[in-house]
Amino acid sequence: MKLNGAQIVVEQLIKHGVTTVFGYPGGAVLPLYDELYKNGGSIHHVLTAHEQGAAHAADGYARASGKTGVVIATSGPGATNLVTGIANAHLDSVPLVAITGNVTVPLLGRDSFQEVDIVGITQPIVKHNFIVRDAKALEQTLNEAFYIAGSGRPGPVLVDIPKSVQSDVCEYTRERGFFEEKEKPNIHPDDIKKILSALKTGKKPYIYAGGGVIASGAEAELRELSTRLSAPVGLSMMGLTAIPDDYALNLGMTGMHGKYAASVAKSESDVLIVLGARFSDRATGNVEEYRADKTIIHIDIDRAEIGKNIHPHIEVCADVKEALTKLLAELPVMQNDEWLKRIDELKNEEHVSSNDEFNPKNIIEMTERICGGDTIIATDVGQHQMWVVQHYKFKKPRTLLTSGGLGAMGFGLGAAIGGCMANDSKRTVLFTGDGSFGMNLTELSTAVSQELPIIIIILNNGVLGLPRQWQAAFFGERYSCSTLNRKTDFAALAKAFGADGYKAEDLSQLEKILLNLQDKTPTVIDCAIGMDEKVFPMIPPGGSIRDIIVKE
Amino acid sequence: MSDSAEKFTVELLVSNHYGVLNRITGLYARRGFNIDSLHVNETENPQRSRMLISSKGDKYIQTQMVRQLSKLHDVKSVVLMTQSTV
Repeated sequence: MKLNGAQIVVEQLIKHGVTTVFGYPGGAVLPLYDELYKNGGSIHHVLTAHEQGAAHAADGYARASGKTGVVIATSGPGATNLVTGIANAHLDSVPLVAITGNVTVPLLGRDSFQEVDIVGITQPIVKHNFIVRDAKALEQTLNEAFYIAGSGRPGPVLVDIPKSVQSDVCEYTRERGFFEEKEKPNIHPDDIKKILSALKTGKKPYIYAGGGVIASGAEAELRELSTRLSAPVGLSMMGLTAIPDDYALNLGMTGMHGKYAASVAKSESDVLIVLGARFSDRATGNVEEYRADKTIIHIDIDRAEIGKNIHPHIEVCADVKEALTKLLAELPVMQNDEWLKRIDELKNEEHVSSNDEFNPKNIIEMTERICGGDTIIATDVGQHQMWVVQHYKFKKPRTLLTSGGLGAMGFGLGAAIGGCMANDSKRTVLFTGDGSFGMNLTELSTAVSQELPIIIIILNNGVLGLPRQWQAAFFGERYSCSTLNRKTDFAALAKAFGADGYKAEDLSQLEKILLNLQDKTPTVIDCAIGMDEKVFPMIPPGGSIRDIIVKE
Repeated sequence: MSDSAEKFTVELLVSNHYGVLNRITGLYARRGFNIDSLHVNETENPQRSRMLISSKGDKYIQTQMVRQLSKLHDVKSVVLMTQSTV
């Protein structure tokens, strides 16, 4: 069958099970948009307000659904606007295929209008990228792109398609074409023996679980491992939702702003089992002390992560689910009441304040109580993000969309749109700050046009909270450029976009708003909080458990 | 770089395609490793090139480079050669 390049792209998207794409048209992708139009709706294209919003939406869609997200942008500025979104997906191992247009093949390399070398620009932040200079290579390239994005450790793949290639006609084969696959690593029987022996020697096992557990779908195996070993589970931020909040041995997040019990138990443990995590500096602090007095077992699908930041005693390069399945087949129950008792003590030492103030913890807990269950929660980046990951009780995998590795302010609204669409447009909550929301709030127009019931809770403190907290702690309270003084009326702004907007000043007002929401309208709730609310616990950068600050 | 830095060479089999050299040298540049010598030639199979890249680094750097290079989609095989293996 003879098709033009644009038709091949559409056919390939359908073949790879794509039903929703996010994007923004422009000169160099008009042939592709023409085919999307003619195709008549088997692929739902979501038009965002800015390409960055589209990239974050495709990312949020992928995180919530486990499918590969797809974003389309034109050449030049369209392509460069994707860069933050692609870097974000790269650092959090999110499967994403980004399709960009480019100038026609004869115009490439001549600084033509709206030409950039997006393959060169994105090279360090993609799993792989392609420029397709011949329509005959397009079909196989897209097969390869989807394979790379979704296999092994997932990640973003960019495919740059010059306009002339979109128009050129060639044979569409519906065949996979030949491309090599990377070897699939697996756990070796000797590794299982070594792990069993380490677990028998140890008295205080601890599991540190990351995003790889969710990517490989190993939530049940993780829980079984924890139960059999009497091992508490601490999570990286990407690992949150891998195990329900109410599971007795789930201690929550570890790391710089992790829970007290999670951090102390980790430091007291003598066998540390690390599953699908990469020891980010935000998660470890001082690496020497992190590693001290324990046997570390690191299981990860990416061999380059093993020994990169923390050198383990036993290393296993494998898919977490496959490795745990084989390990569990030989692992006996190792009930450990003494360690369980200690974990209970630590949980009781967790610092909790209880009052009815209109503070971040109470706002988050009230939202969870009313919207809870399997609602998808998106966050932006900053103090509000830390409060959400500390206080929200996640029950199901893939219900948290947050920018971990890149820490990209402005991620949240796009991600919430993508997450909401991946979840049949069911109610979705975005917690954001006034700083983060200001970065990409223009996507409110997308949430309105798509009739998405997204609740946007702005924890509005009038400052850039994390810089301010660090300036208070490390820079003598010199609040350089972190006070916003913007006087934005967010409720009025929401209404101008065609959304609903409210201001809440206490918990009863918030409750009333949350109980009376519209089904198809995004709602902004501006919650004024104090500018000196801080995130605790905190282990300062490069510090260890001895440096933990639990309250002001 | 630590005191135990030694000369090491990686032998790579890669796709014979424009841009591949860039991806590989980019990995070295990002981590701040200087390349002391670089040799590239097309192999008996025109779809493959062979590269020899010499650099200096301790065991940690050698292992990291081999593992990071192996991740690249265009890299088909990596062999590490050090003073003790050659």
